[in-house]
Order: sequence, then structure tokens, then C-alpha cells
Amino acid sequence: MTDPPKRKVGVFICHCGGNIADVVDVNRLREYAAQQGDVEVATDFRFMCSNEGKTRLQREVKERGLNGAVVACCTPKLYEDMFRETAGDAGMNPYLLEIANVREQCSFVHRQEPEKATEKAMSLVKAQVEKVRNLRPLEVKTAPIHPGVAVVGGGIAGIHAAILLADLGHKVTLIEKSPTIGGNMARFDKTFPTLDCAMCTLSPKMDEAYNHPNIALMTYAEVRAAVRTPGKFTLTVEKKPRYVTDACIGCDRCTERCPISTAKSPIQADSEWDLGIAKRKAIYRPFSSALPPIWTIDADHCFYFQRNKACRVCASVCPTHAIDFTMQPERVSVEVGAVVLATGYQLFDAAQIPQYGMRKYPDVYDGLQVERMLASNGPTRGKVVRKDGTPPKSVAIIHCVGSRDRNYKEYCSKVCCMYSLKFAHLIHERTGARVYNFYIDLRVGGKGYEEFYQRLAAEGIRFVRGKVEEVTDRAKAPEEEGKLVVVAEDTLVGSVLRVPVDMVVLSPAMVPSAIDDLLASLHVDKTPDGFVKEYHPKISPTETAVKGVYVAGCAQAPKDITETIAQAGAAAMSAAVFLGSGEMSLNPLVAEVDPALCRACDRCTEVCEFDAVRVDPDGLVAVIDETACEGCGKCTVVCPTGAISVRQFKKSQIVAAIDALAPGAVP
Amino acid sequence: MTFEPRIATFCCNWCGYSAADQAGATKLPYPTGVRIVRLMCTGMMDPFYVLRAFERGFDGVMVIGCHPGSCHYKSGNLQAKEQLGRLAGVLRALGLGEERVLMDAASAPEGARFAMLANDFVERVRQLGPSPLREAAP
Repeated sequence: MTDPPKRKVGVFICHCGGNIADVVDVNRLREYAAQQGDVEVATDFRFMCSNEGKTRLQREVKERGLNGAVVACCTPKLYEDMFRETAGDAGMNPYLLEIANVREQCSFVHRQEPEKATEKAMSLVKAQVEKVRNLRPLEVKTAPIHPGVAVVGGGIAGIHAAILLADLGHKVTLIEKSPTIGGNMARFDKTFPTLDCAMCTLSPKMDEAYNHPNIALMTYAEVRAAVRTPGKFTLTVEKKPRYVTDACIGCDRCTERCPISTAKSPIQADSEWDLGIAKRKAIYRPFSSALPPIWTIDADHCFYFQRNKACRVCASVCPTHAIDFTMQPERVSVEVGAVVLATGYQLFDAAQIPQYGMRKYPDVYDGLQVERMLASNGPTRGKVVRKDGTPPKSVAIIHCVGSRDRNYKEYCSKVCCMYSLKFAHLIHERTGARVYNFYIDLRVGGKGYEEFYQRLAAEGIRFVRGKVEEVTDRAKAPEEEGKLVVVAEDTLVGSVLRVPVDMVVLSPAMVPSAIDDLLASLHVDKTPDGFVKEYHPKISPTETAVKGVYVAGCAQAPKDITETIAQAGAAAMSAAVFLGSGEMSLNPLVAEVDPALCRACDRCTEVCEFDAVRVDPDGLVAVIDETACEGCGKCTVVCPTGAISVRQFKKSQIVAAIDALAPGAVP
Repeated sequence: MTFEPRIATFCCNWCGYSAADQAGATKLPYPTGVRIVRLMCTGMMDPFYVLRAFERGFDGVMVIGCHPGSCHYKSGNLQAKEQLGRLAGVLRALGLGEERVLMDAASAPEGARFAMLANDFVERVRQLGPSPLREAAP
């Protein structure tokens, strides 16, 4: 080990008005600091953070050629970055400046003991001087940022973000796991509170994304892995085989002739798009305006695949020979500089609450099934009917199914009150049925939302405040025969109600899509509820802790379409600013390896939470990925040879501080 | 002269250090013998630093990180707990005992908790008396 190079250190003591100087004897502190090893100058000033204070610091750096500085002031959380930048502008390496926290850790907490506080301030300054003497200048490396961006999820959030980024000139890869873009919104008939036609507002945006020259669409595709290198994410995307090529012209002849739905067929495919309330054939497109307009074969239900190539009807009727049974899953690599997660939500499976009768009674539906029933392009063409085809005369809508419930999901799914009201209105309008809303609290905050609720109340929709105990077909009175009976306590009246109805609609919690593997691969965290963890829930709701990864829509938390659009715009903006900077600075305070000491024992790789260190098999030495390393230093403790260290927190640097703080270090 | 315990206090940047800042911002007093060394994470808390602190005459060592499950780096606090646990035998053999080392947690807004931990620990060490190694310290 060579001795650290000779330093010229400046110590700058801030009075912080009187916050520090009224307690700590700054004259004594300055005189003491001036006597410390390598200290070239020690000075004090009323406000170091003022322009004048910063100018003083810069002047000393320049005139004395300082290559080390300690500012004794408030917590480094406030001005460490600023003082480093100030010193850097004057020509000193910014990482040779340290803060001695003599306000929060000294004058603020030892106001009754000025003598001892002064002695402590001296030791805090000494500790930082000793640390600075052991620091090395650090270089901030930069890496060019790949200009492309991947948007994962082709619902309204992903579509909106993708269009904005593409309009800004970025090459966008929009990755969607289902055969079409559109997401859950494409299932809706009307949107609250304006009752706009959902597809009328969504379709143009789907078209724009589909036709945009800067958007490459990858549908029926899923991200399987992500590798982060400086300024770049390399995504491995698996394209599932559609068995239909781009030659498809959307004529529908294949679906017409597909034999799956014949009476003899044992195979029945539930339409995913209609959430099981309708069947579909083995070759299909989810809905009429699906994009891309290319059909898909469901191999699990196709006779060609299931019955040893027994059937090739679709291939024989296809006018463009677009059917290709030999297609295989394909893995492609997509390189981008930023990733927007717009993976949306699914509904909590209401059958997990057995007393509500989901999948037990045929006329119990969940929210998305009712959306499909209400939709003009749905299986009933917008008619609200029971399984037997007759319109219901009475309908119960049960709010908070699985949400706001400690047994299932504690959080409020936020949109269910409003869509339940929307259902109530549409069902009442189309059938004249008596509609009951069973709610815990009505949460209708939003522009025009309360007004919508008032409108419904005026329409004669019934509201019962109380949690539903069960839905049952066991009649206890003649009027309950043949009905579903909703048993609930009306908490406003204080009595238990039994309400016989023809149809029950459950409004379940929104839960995140199954993206755990993707998040793990990107090193993006989840919040305890399973949604993507944002960098800061209040002020950075679209960023994640991983630089270059952004989040929009219900992937982050339940929200309505208005908020989703707003957040998608914000996420696109954040991503664009990041990409537009062209290069990213890498935090220099990360781990580094002394190859001469490393024995390639792999202990560092075992404890690393960020896959930031690997053992290079050729050199038999640990190698740090500086873009992935967060600088936590776990590896430094388990390294048996001391080969690995975190810059600015090396053992010698920490020990220098410990020694300076020890009793007797300050006479 | 009364015995003023000197405590080497290792705080992670995200929780312990911020909690100490919060104690300062709300002017919650604790003894001046508490001296803080800032680490990015308690995951970088090498047990060696504990021994170094005692060798240099400190009377106690406190390590304040994030609460379990809240580590900024996922699991650094858990590793610290494990690493410090390995010191127990050494501390006994040195005649210091385990009582002089505390690992605990205080989240960023928990200034009051930091002050409480500091006050309680200083009091504990005061009861134990000066470190037997203090006299030998340089």
C-alpha cells in the first residue's frame, strides 16, 4: 500500500445564521481545524450555502489549489451534491469533498451543552478531514443511452405512451402478450362518467399505434428476460406462434369453416376476450376491430394439433395461404434505452369468496363479464340477459369484492364504485330492472363523478350500505323461489336484508397482471400489494428505482382511464427526458475489484441482490457491472481477501473516521 | 469526573442517518458521546469496525439501519444482523460482552426513535461502565 497523496484540504465552517454558531464555538472549531493534518486553510462564514459562501469556497479551491474540502454545516442530505458541484466547477474533483454534519448531529441536539457540543464538532470535523485525506479522486463515467424504448403492455396506457414517444421520434417497440392491442378498455361499452363509447375513443388510438412509422408492434409476445448494461436494456421477447402469417387479409373464411363448434366436438374454447361468457373457435380474432388484423390459431383447441393433423380446413379455405402450422415460438432480442411498464391489471377471482356464488350460480357475473355483455360488439350485442336468455327484472351489484378486505386485498381498487354506478345506469336503462348497489362506502371523487352518482340516485337506483354476507339460491319465502337472494346488513337501518334478484354483478378488486418474472428480471420492486413500486409514491409516481424503467397505468396501482392517460403521458415524458439526455452518468460510488487480490470465490455474487457482480471465467476475477451496482457494500463484508470495496467507503476511509471519533482523538 | 460513554454509531444512509437528521431537525437531545459514521447501507458494516472501535477506546457500538423488509438495497440490514451476530463469541472472549453492541432500526421519519435508541443505549453502557479496553487505547 502506498500512502495517500499529500493533500491540501480546506475546512469551511458554516454558522448557519446562529443555528450552529449559537451552540458551537466556531472560533475554537476553526482554530482546531486549521491544525489538522493536510489542512491548508480553515475558515468560517455565516451561510456557506449562500452565493457568497460558495464563491468563498471556489476562491479557496482555485487560489490554494485545494484537492480536498470539508464543509462543516447541515446534513449532507441537503447540500452535499451542491457543494460537490461548486467545488467541481472550481476545478477540484467533486468526490474529494465531504460534509461534517455539525448541525443535525451536533448543535441541534446538544443545545444545552455548548462546551461538549464544540468538542464533538471538532471530532466530527476531524473525522471528515481524515476521511478526505484517504479519498481518491473519482471519475464519473457516462454511457450513451440507446435511443429506443420498449413499452410493455398494449392497453390504453401503453398505447398512449407509445404514441407520444413515437411522435417525439423515438423508435418504440410495443409488446403485448395477447393477439391484439387494446387491453381491457377494448372490452368496455361505455366509459364513466360521460358514457362515451369506449371503442370510439380507443379505436383511433389503436389505429394510430398500429400505423405509426416509429412503432414496431409485437403482439402475442412476452418479455422473458431483461439484461441491463450501461445505457441499454436487452429484452428477450418470445413471440408465440399464431400459425397465421402476415398474409392474412382478415376475410374470416377460416373461422366460418373451423369445425370446432360442431355439436360432436368435445372441445370447447372459452373466449378469453369475453371472459368465458362466450365460446370461440380454434382460429379466431378476439374482436372485430382487433389489431393487428391477423387471425390466431389456439393450438390447445385446434384439431390439427390435438388430433394428429386430422383437420386442415382453415388452410384449405384460406385464399392467401396464410395458415402455417409449422410456426414455432421465436425468441428475439430487443435493445432499448428505456422501458415503460404498462402491464395493466386483471380482476381478483371472485370465486375465492365462495359465499358470493361466482361460478356456482350461472347468473353471477364479475365486472369484466358484464362489460362484455353490455358491449355492442360482445356476445349478446349489448343486451343484458340471464343465462336463459331472459332479461333480468332485478339486479344486485356488489361493491368491494375482495378489495378493502383484510382477508383478500386491503387496498381500495378505486374505480369499482364508478363502474358499478355505470353498470347500474346501463342495466336499468336497457332492461328497466330494479338495480341495487350494495356498498361499504361510495368513493366517487373525480371530475363529474359525484354528479353522476346524483344522477343515478335520481334515476331510482337503490343504494344499500352494507357488506353482503352471501348470495344464495335457498329460498326462505315464496318470493325468493327461483331467485338469487342477496343477504346483507343494511348498516344505515341496522337490519339484515334478504333481497331476491335475477342477476348478481360482482365488482372485484383489481390485481396486477402476472409480471413477477419480468419485474425480477428488470430488478424493479413491487409494493406489498403486488403492484409495481414507483420511485416515490408522491413525487415520482411514474419512475421506478431502476434508471430507465418507468411505469404507467394500473401496473402501478388501480386507476381509471383518465388517470391512466395522464400517468402514461407523464411516464412517456420522463422516459423521453431520460432518452433525450443521450448519455447517463454512472454513480461512481459503487464497488470495485482489486484483481490482484480476487480469488474468484463467488461469495460476492452470492450476496449481491442486483446481479451486479459476476466472476469472469477467463480471468478468474470478479467483474462489477457499474450500471447495476447500487453500492450497498454487502460484497465487501463477505469478501475473504478484501479485494472488493465500495468507492468512498473503503475500509481505510471508514477506519480513518472511526479513529478520529474515538475518545482521546480530540485532546 | 462522570463517565460519558463514547458510542461509535454506524448509520445507513437511508434510514438510520436520516432518522438522526430527523432527531436533529426536531431538536431531540441525546448525549454528545454518540458519534455517527455514515455508511450507505448496514450491509457494508464489517464486524471489523466494531473491533476497531473498541480498540480505539469506544465504550459501545450502535448500528442503526432500516427496519427488516425496508432495506433500500433489499437485504443489507439482514446481512449486517447476521455478521454482527458472529461477533458474540469474540466480544465475550475479549471481556466486552455482547451488551455493548446494539443493532437496531429507525426509519427516516423516526427521529424520536433514533433519540430513544441513543439515550437508552448510552444509559445501558453507562451502567456497564467504561470499556475494559479504553485504558489500553492509543
